[in-house]
Amino acid sequence: MAEVAVQPAWLSERRQRGASLAQELPLPDQKAKGWEFTDLSGLDLGAYEEASAAPVVSGAEGATVVSLSEALSSHEDLLRERLGSLVPVEDPFVARNEASWRDGVLVHVPKGVRLSEPIQIELPVETNGAAVNWRTLIVLEEDAEAEVWEHWSSPGDEVDAVLNSVVELSVGQGATLRYVNTQDISERAWIFATQRAQVERDGRLDWAALGFGSARGKVRMETKLAGPGSEARVTGGYAGGAGQHLDYDTTQEHAAPNTNSDLAFRGVLAAGATAVWRGMIKVDPGAQQTDAFQESRNLLLSPEAHADAIPGLEILADDVRCTHAAAIAQVDKDQLFYLTSRGLAAAAAKSLIIEGFLESLVERLAEGPVRDSISEALESRLAEIL
Amino acid sequence: MATPEVLAEKRELAGINADYKEKFGFNDPETGYAYKAPKGLTREVVETISDYKDEPQWMRDFRLKALDHFESRPTPKWGGNLDQIDFDDIHYFVRASEKNSRDWSEVPEDIKNTFDRLGIPEAERKFLAGVGAQYESEVVYHQVNEKLEAQGVIFTDMDTALREHEDLVREYWATVIPPNDNKLAALNSAVWSGGSFVYVPAGVKVEMPLQAYFRINTENMGQFERTLIICEEGADVHYIEGCTAPVYSSDSLHSAVVEIVCKPSSRVRYTTVQNWSQNVFNLVTKRAVAHEKATMEWVDCNLGSKLTMKYPSIYLLGPEAHGEILSIAFAGDGQHQDAGGKIIHGAPRTSSSIFSKSISKDGGRATYRGLLEVADGARESRSKVVCDALLLDEHSRSDTYPTIRIDANDADIGHEATVSKIGDEQLFYLQSRGLDEEEASKMIVNGFIEPVTKELPMEYAVELNRLIELQMEGSIG
Repeated sequence: MAEVAVQPAWLSERRQRGASLAQELPLPDQKAKGWEFTDLSGLDLGAYEEASAAPVVSGAEGATVVSLSEALSSHEDLLRERLGSLVPVEDPFVARNEASWRDGVLVHVPKGVRLSEPIQIELPVETNGAAVNWRTLIVLEEDAEAEVWEHWSSPGDEVDAVLNSVVELSVGQGATLRYVNTQDISERAWIFATQRAQVERDGRLDWAALGFGSARGKVRMETKLAGPGSEARVTGGYAGGAGQHLDYDTTQEHAAPNTNSDLAFRGVLAAGATAVWRGMIKVDPGAQQTDAFQESRNLLLSPEAHADAIPGLEILADDVRCTHAAAIAQVDKDQLFYLTSRGLAAAAAKSLIIEGFLESLVERLAEGPVRDSISEALESRLAEIL
Repeated sequence: MATPEVLAEKRELAGINADYKEKFGFNDPETGYAYKAPKGLTREVVETISDYKDEPQWMRDFRLKALDHFESRPTPKWGGNLDQIDFDDIHYFVRASEKNSRDWSEVPEDIKNTFDRLGIPEAERKFLAGVGAQYESEVVYHQVNEKLEAQGVIFTDMDTALREHEDLVREYWATVIPPNDNKLAALNSAVWSGGSFVYVPAGVKVEMPLQAYFRINTENMGQFERTLIICEEGADVHYIEGCTAPVYSSDSLHSAVVEIVCKPSSRVRYTTVQNWSQNVFNLVTKRAVAHEKATMEWVDCNLGSKLTMKYPSIYLLGPEAHGEILSIAFAGDGQHQDAGGKIIHGAPRTSSSIFSKSISKDGGRATYRGLLEVADGARESRSKVVCDALLLDEHSRSDTYPTIRIDANDADIGHEATVSKIGDEQLFYLQSRGLDEEEASKMIVNGFIEPVTKELPMEYAVELNRLIELQMEGSIG
């Protein structure tokens, strides 16, 4: 995809604003709220050169799936209205993205259109020394239905790059979006992802995310249930090995009554991998009949692995049911003993237990290609880190 | 339809809070003070306190060093809003009477009146082993019964302990909470006055709970008591701290430091029933260290104050040490209870649990803030944290901020939290049995906190249930 050469005035203005904010907002240190457990002191953004990626996009009949540079001519009004409408620019990473994004994709599904085939977006992060500022904008109009698979990957674990992406998911009234994001970029690369979904009245979001790659960074996944009767189901899995620090920050905001959110994360950490998961359920005043659930479980496979879990609840309505749970444990010795006593080798028994741990995550996904491919991806990732 | 018993109880309860102001909302004439420091915190005030108490040089140096820490640290920005506190508008030291009385007959008359109106001495003389009542900044009445003294137990106010057991105090002083731990601990370290000192020799089991009542009685007067409990190997003690404070027109500050050392195989339980009047800022640092096979338990009930920020903590430093925190918070109109607990597993095979119950009503805000950390090497540690919150109306707020950090292998850690309102099915069931909605709600709330109240001594459990019933009154419909 070519660089954005000619751009409308509104976009230039927004880039300038992003650039000036980027000047004002330094990269966070560990004293900054939310960054206590992720050290960015080793990150020198100046050492990376802004670069284009070469995304591969395949659309589906009935929807618009175009690069953002094409969308600037074909869907300018839509972009002007929706790009940046969910993710505010006042953040060091979003500001830098806003100032200098080169590549991105617009998915637009018109009112009442139900896609039968999934849309695929492949973003390779393959150039050493590259800083890739990526944007995804998915807009489902009223009663639309779509499935979008987005895959961020590198050809190997030697690539030293920065991926800074902003993803906006807009689910219209009565619409249904299944969004699958699998991240398997180089284990030497930095990742910063700011992703936010907004679900309107009676809309439904089913969001699945996998995190295998990257050395360090932060992935945010925020869901705002903006319309009554809307619901969101968020399923996340991560698996890290030596040298990796994975940071997930999730928010479930209930801004309207009769909303339902259900989030579950599971992580497997081998060797010296560390992970931090921070989750917040916010219930705004007046968002009655809210049902919110949040769960994070980590399995530590080595004495050097480390996990932090910081679940949170902020509830400003009373007719609610909000629950969270967090657990951090090791492979259960009794289970291991049982399996080995049945003749399994220790290694096989261990991987069986880990698969079982992840199985309950996979079962949250509807039977079909999404579940199958997530299950396969987890299995092959486990083979890598064990 | 209510049963006659319920109606009778309701009549009885209805009268309880009506005379609160007459009963508790009084001030003794201030002329009765033997000494009152000018408002504000300066080096001179700190030196005056130290002079007045005729303290050893090391304590004077400690206070002054702590003052430097206090001045150099910013006011915390998290938790509740502390910007409302004007540290220059507080009396840092008030001495209620010249002499520390051991005999009841020596206690000055107006102070006795205060205690009489609170109903303290009779009850406690009857039931309790020792009484340390802190009236304002210093303990004026203190009684340890002969049995305790014969066992070698020391239970005295901190000022006396510093005079009579200086070596013992110095050995443990600020070893659990250093003066630079946080801004409020630094403040307490600089201006502390009163508090309890408890020393339980090896193997001694103190059968009766040791109790001390704390009261704040001067407008704009901070109370900075300092408590140190040392429980030697194999010893066992239960310390109870209960607070009531009169109603005032402007804000008061209470900032205590409580340090506890649990030697190997010892057991300490520290119970607090906090019911400060609703203009008090209650900012307390409480911490215990538990050595091998020791057990430390905090039972922490927060009902009063405008803002409480208090997170009792336990450092499990020896193998197989055990820590427990039971916490109740009730936040009513204008109140913010920012409570919780911290447990740090620092040795193998340690275990812990935190159970927190909070209730928010009439726009109150209850926050659970906790830390559970398993340090590297604390193998095979177990912990469970359960937080439940009840919201009684749509204006109230509940927050849960637990943090879990796990560095060790073979640790098994679980956390769960639930926020909900009173269940319609429960209400319906009780109402179908003849209770009205208010009675049914009270019953459900009492049932909700029961896992904690059942751990309290009977008289405290009764008092706590009553206080919560009072706070519940008029909350429905």
